[in-house]
Amino acid sequence: MKLKMTRRDFLKTSAVGLAVASGLIKFAKADIFKKAEEEQKKLEEKGYKLVKTICTGCAVGCGLLAVVKDDQWLWVEPWINNPINRGKLCCKGASANYIVHSPRRLKYPMIKRNGKWEKISWDEALEIIAKKLWEIRQKYGPDALFFAGSAKVSTEMAYLQRKFMAFWGSNNIDHQARICHSTTVAGLGNTFGYGAMNNNFNDMRNSRAIIFLSNPAEAHPVSFYHIYKAKERGAVLIACDPRFSRTAAVSDVYVRFRPGTDIALIMGICHELVKNGWYCPDYVEKRTYGFDYFKEEVLKDDYSPENVEKITGVPADLIRKVAQILAKNRPATLQYAMGATQHVTGSQNIRSFAILQLLIGCVGRPGGGVNAFRGHDNVQGATDMCVLSHSLPAYYGLSEKAWKHWCRVWNVDYEWIKSRFSSEEMMHKKGFTMSRFAVGATAEKYGWKLDQPSPIKAIIWWGHSTASIGDLKLVKEAFESVELLVVVDPFVETAAALPERKDGIIILPACTEYESEGFVTNSARQIQWRNKVVNPRYESKPDMWILFKLVEKLDKYDPGLYAKFTANFGGKSPEEIRPEEVWDKEVMVGCISIGMLGQKSWRIKRQQEYDYTFSEEDCRSYGGPCKGEYWGLPWPCWNDKHPGTPILYRDDIPVWEGGHDFRVKWGPKAPDGKSLLSGVNPQNEIYVNGVKWLFAIGETFEEYLDKNMLPSGRGRARFYAWNMKDPLPKIREPIYSPRLDLVSRYPTYEDEKYGKFHFRVKIKGRSWQIAWLKANVVDIFPLVWTSGRQVEHMGGGAETRSNPILAELQPEMYVEINPKTAMERGIRDGDLVAVVSPRSLEYDDTPAYIIVKARVTPSVPEWLVFTPFHWAGQFQGKPYLDRFPVTNDMDTRPIVYGDSCNIVNPPGWDPETQMQATKSGICNVVRADKLQEFLSQYRSKIEKLKAELRKMKVME
Amino acid sequence: MLKFLVDTHHNLCIKCKGCMAICKNYNKTPKGVNRIQVVTINEGQPGQLNIPIMCLHCNDPPCMKVCPVKAIYKREDGIVLVDKDKCIGCGYCAWACPFGAPQFPEGGAFGSKGKMDKCTYCVLPFEPERDEKGNVIYRDPVPRCALICPCETILAGEMKEITKKLRERVGALTASKIESLFLF
Ligand code: SF4
Ligand code: SF4
Ligand code: SF4
Repeated sequence: MKLKMTRRDFLKTSAVGLAVASGLIKFAKADIFKKAEEEQKKLEEKGYKLVKTICTGCAVGCGLLAVVKDDQWLWVEPWINNPINRGKLCCKGASANYIVHSPRRLKYPMIKRNGKWEKISWDEALEIIAKKLWEIRQKYGPDALFFAGSAKVSTEMAYLQRKFMAFWGSNNIDHQARICHSTTVAGLGNTFGYGAMNNNFNDMRNSRAIIFLSNPAEAHPVSFYHIYKAKERGAVLIACDPRFSRTAAVSDVYVRFRPGTDIALIMGICHELVKNGWYCPDYVEKRTYGFDYFKEEVLKDDYSPENVEKITGVPADLIRKVAQILAKNRPATLQYAMGATQHVTGSQNIRSFAILQLLIGCVGRPGGGVNAFRGHDNVQGATDMCVLSHSLPAYYGLSEKAWKHWCRVWNVDYEWIKSRFSSEEMMHKKGFTMSRFAVGATAEKYGWKLDQPSPIKAIIWWGHSTASIGDLKLVKEAFESVELLVVVDPFVETAAALPERKDGIIILPACTEYESEGFVTNSARQIQWRNKVVNPRYESKPDMWILFKLVEKLDKYDPGLYAKFTANFGGKSPEEIRPEEVWDKEVMVGCISIGMLGQKSWRIKRQQEYDYTFSEEDCRSYGGPCKGEYWGLPWPCWNDKHPGTPILYRDDIPVWEGGHDFRVKWGPKAPDGKSLLSGVNPQNEIYVNGVKWLFAIGETFEEYLDKNMLPSGRGRARFYAWNMKDPLPKIREPIYSPRLDLVSRYPTYEDEKYGKFHFRVKIKGRSWQIAWLKANVVDIFPLVWTSGRQVEHMGGGAETRSNPILAELQPEMYVEINPKTAMERGIRDGDLVAVVSPRSLEYDDTPAYIIVKARVTPSVPEWLVFTPFHWAGQFQGKPYLDRFPVTNDMDTRPIVYGDSCNIVNPPGWDPETQMQATKSGICNVVRADKLQEFLSQYRSKIEKLKAELRKMKVME
Repeated sequence: MLKFLVDTHHNLCIKCKGCMAICKNYNKTPKGVNRIQVVTINEGQPGQLNIPIMCLHCNDPPCMKVCPVKAIYKREDGIVLVDKDKCIGCGYCAWACPFGAPQFPEGGAFGSKGKMDKCTYCVLPFEPERDEKGNVIYRDPVPRCALICPCETILAGEMKEITKKLRERVGALTASKIESLFLF
């Protein structure tokens, strides 16, 4: 032990020396940053603890220092040596302690009985839940439970959520990623092989041109620390957004296009690049497949700047200008978020981005890449762990092979797992998704068909927000229809208060992420250890404890369950099992497919200790024990010696240095006979002693890496993805399109594309659109609706709307409307207005609407309105704060509240992933006091649409 | 001389409000008292500019001149402070300050606005701490807003350091602008 200590100390001092010599501690040398570090040191001397932790506000993954005394978190200090953010924070990170110390926390478990909220003990609560779940299982089968998991919990906890449902015997588990970046996984995965952000935030400083397809100024503020470095070095910033966002305001070029026409816009740019020979033929030749098919398509007249102008509204000359900029400024990177993914054509939108980047040869090089900016702090981790209804962890899918692989990791018998399901068929069938589970719960009432024996009878709602889900009216009904609703959250999440029901709801206080610990993966696949800042407040408990405890309770009815579930942890009690154990013994063993093998807990923690040895330029450590490693060991990290892969598909450096290549995922040959192996160094996937790499548990791949070979092979990126519903991106109008003239030329997907059932529910495409076309109600719904983020809030806002600082900085839900549009409707800034949409007429009599304040601003054009989506606490104008628990020592009502905009979102689902459409809707805005007048004036038109929808049997 | 400089020459601020939040957090100002505030001009149109505004610790502070009870003073290092024991809440300073820096908590007694509060360069929180003898404890002058601003819009420190940083930035950004002139 003693020896180890001295060795460590030695390393530490030498590392500091090295770091200083190589100029790494840049900030420590400069002015106020130096003073800040001195002051921080003084604080420590005075007995304050400075705890390194990770912000929960978004997926940038900023580090921050929590100042703690007597188990109280006093304020936030900048963590200057964290290479991702160098101490920079936006308002969410800068007020993190107010989430922990919010006056609106849920303090103890509550149950709703006879219309009243009652306090109960943890033991009683879990007992009731276990008993009821068991009853439901006996009566209706395991598929009667729907589990909404979370991207807010740590990666190993997300993994345990997925594992829980596997052991329960159902695939009805899903989480935020379905409705945020599922189309990214489909779009990028089908092009490159992996479905994650290619490069990282820091790397953007190497770009010469940055195309924004989202609004990172509000959604990922600290990314601007790096983006401005790029700007200082000469990068051109191009903002593409229907709305003149804060990002647009600081960009060099602004491209305003109509929501939902991303494909037309990007293909228009590609058209120019190909036509003028401004693409990268060498790269295309060496590293891609299917360019000829693409070329033929993109040179069609549909994609000429003139035609694209007609569809998107972007002047043809501006499209040419953007193409020209991309021709001359490389590497270029492209970033996007929900504005691109949440469409019926979401997967294809992302495909078009990937294709554009391939054309200009910018994938797999510093400063390039398709950078999917993800939303939640751990959504990449939760996605990797596949808290998703169509796959086991690490994207293994639901095949027999996949199940057998994970059974080996779990140390349980495959036959036993099989026996947990109602049938073998259900084991391989994709479950309900976040976007459409509501249909699964309300099917009986409406007589809708489902692809499983029983409807959903119980819902576990664990760290998921309600406000972000589309068709919220139906979601409310779903919460009202089930027999048991369990909500687990540090605050009272909307799901517990929205339903108008007298009993059957139990809420469990999970502690916040800052009161527990675990691994979080940011958008750039960088894994960081989040330290516990203070002990859980009140009676709240860490998520992991709650889950293990629930399994323990279930064990009473389901003997042997707990022992099997914890087989790798030696039968320890829920209190004893550590996150590191779950991580090292299961996650790091089974997730071979994405190379999550080398990020052992000791390595991640060591990085945190030696944070000052990492450079902010390339996130690499240049001294000390982590020398050579990249911050966060981004996957693939093939073994304990591998430094991680900060930039995917980079074939110009050795694999041992973070080199990589496109994955060989569709065999070595395409159906047309062309090779799918990379021209540089052709290499198929690795088989270890006849076992495919994916299933080679315990293998370190070292000898292959020495030969510069990759387990996933050296393959080609695909312009042409023959297995997709559209092998090449194709212009398709939104279902409720404002442009009826374009609908027949660019129709949405045929009903057949969704199959007989789509994730266990009936989904139709073209039928909706035909009903829309026939009803012809565009005149009464002439405005396009889109939604987005406010910088102060996060997701459904349960945490941020109860954070006193953030609630003060942004107290309001509103609709942004152009001055001219407002004037025509007699609306003044601050007036209460109704945003009415033709939604929910497929099952209800009145169209959906929300009542919000008008924010009159020219940032939206005359034809567009914008609403933020973080709001809840009010439903179609009626506040329901009285349904939040209030006791003599606890008030759980959010500090600020408002109507949830996703009541009015349009129908439509991506045929690849069932992504919902929450960015390109249609609506009208009227003064709130004129709403009834509006509804009665246009009664017949609304009835017409209702009749057409029923005629087309859109829900059947 | 310690100074602030808000870089409005390059449209940098993205209104992430990190500065506002950290200031409230560190200095524990109550609701409604914002020592730093981000204002926007030309919102929603080309030319939009977000500007964080706080006390600029003027060389010759107008607020100091108008204060009838001499509650406002300038320290040797340049920081302008208000002595809350002396302040009578008349609000003259708020009229005199061109930047609207002086803040007053909600509802002071007898028509007074309550004690004035404003940016202290982070040396004093809203309720100053005191040692056993009742003397006010001053913290180190480390402006939190400037530390955490992701866009480095707020530059702080010794004047010569600020000018150096700004010179570099102007050089780099102007060069990049010139380069882009050759684009077409
Ligand atoms: S919300 Fe995102 S950008 Fe803001 S501090 Fe947290 S991680 Fe950083
Ligand atoms: S922290 Fe910086 S970028 Fe953010 S609002 Fe304040 S000045 Fe603007
Ligand atoms: S220097 Fe400190 S007190 Fe002044 S505005 Fe900035 S954070 Fe607030």
